[in-house]
Amino acid sequence: MIAVLGLLAGVVVGLLVRPEVPAVVEPYLPIAVVAALDAVFGGLRAMLDGIFVDKVFVVSFLSNVVVAALIVFLGDKLGVGSQLSTGVVVVLGIRIFSNAAAIRRHVFRA
Amino acid sequence: MSANDTPPEEPNVPEQPLEEGKTQAGPVAEETGRQRLAAGLWPPRVSRAQLIVALLLFVLGLGLAIQVRSNSDSSALRGARQEDLVRILDELDGRTKRLEDEKQRLEDQRRELESSSNQAEEARRQTVEKERQLGILAGTVAAQGPGITLRITDPTGQVQSDQLLDTLQELRAAGAEAIQINGVRIVAGSYFSDENGGVGIDGKKITQPYEFKVIGKPQDLEPALNIPGGVVQTLEKEQATVAVTRSAKIVVDALRAAKQPDYARSSSG
Repeated sequence: MIAVLGLLAGVVVGLLVRPEVPAVVEPYLPIAVVAALDAVFGGLRAMLDGIFVDKVFVVSFLSNVVVAALIVFLGDKLGVGSQLSTGVVVVLGIRIFSNAAAIRRHVFRA
Repeated sequence: MSANDTPPEEPNVPEQPLEEGKTQAGPVAEETGRQRLAAGLWPPRVSRAQLIVALLLFVLGLGLAIQVRSNSDSSALRGARQEDLVRILDELDGRTKRLEDEKQRLEDQRRELESSSNQAEEARRQTVEKERQLGILAGTVAAQGPGITLRITDPTGQVQSDQLLDTLQELRAAGAEAIQINGVRIVAGSYFSDENGGVGIDGKKITQPYEFKVIGKPQDLEPALNIPGGVVQTLEKEQATVAVTRSAKIVVDALRAAKQPDYARSSSG
């Protein structure tokens, strides 16, 4: 419950405060957000499976974000930034879908 | 994770057959995922795990909101990469140049069309003017202007076609521009003939009194007829009565059909 409240608070703060993102981080923010979404869905699935460990969640969340941003950064340096970020988004999207399917099986029994 | 806050619509009995695919996740699954979710959501408990997850989710929500916001900002160029921006700028430059070229071309075309339509208008005006002049000469259009009326009454029938022809020549020599005699327009190819009891012009018989309507300068035409030994005197010798009247407005409205030559074609143009 506290976690859901945290998510809501983040959205509200982001909408109200409209902080300026530094230009260096700006290209990586969308990919980082998608990676974090993947980690959250994975955590939700683990919780429903009863194997949720907060340390694992924290590590996977942070490493997902960092690795995703790193891949995009590397791609930018190599000149294939847009293709590589497309690839990252596709992979993370597939993972999110499979996690969502597992969650759905738990919640709706179907 | 207590089992005693089970929702009432959730009987605990048929648990094993529903958990068939998930045995590797929880080997001793004494409660379902749905129950775990409900237990996690309510009642709210402050634990280390909850707080850490709340912090991470707060960061996620923040990033999500910022990204959505900057994406829905007016300029879609925010957050675009440098190489993309350079490419977009290049494309815009090229497009501007193309459009400028096109504008230049269209303006040239417009100028050309305007000048050519002016020329065509001028040519058309001149053609109309010329047509009117030629139409007066050829007798295909009516004419009006200052001139004289010449009326020859010949009670004895002595006036022949050659006297009328002399009169006509005299009038032409004095600068007559349009002539009609008794409703017959006189043109370059007109001819006189003697009919029995009258005169024919271009095959049309006319009877006296012969009335000439002449457009020209009256001050020239009248003296030309009245000179001693001239037309009037000659006609009066034949017992005819001649009356010459000047007029500021003579209307020559007898027309002649335009004749298209059968063989001759204009060689110019």
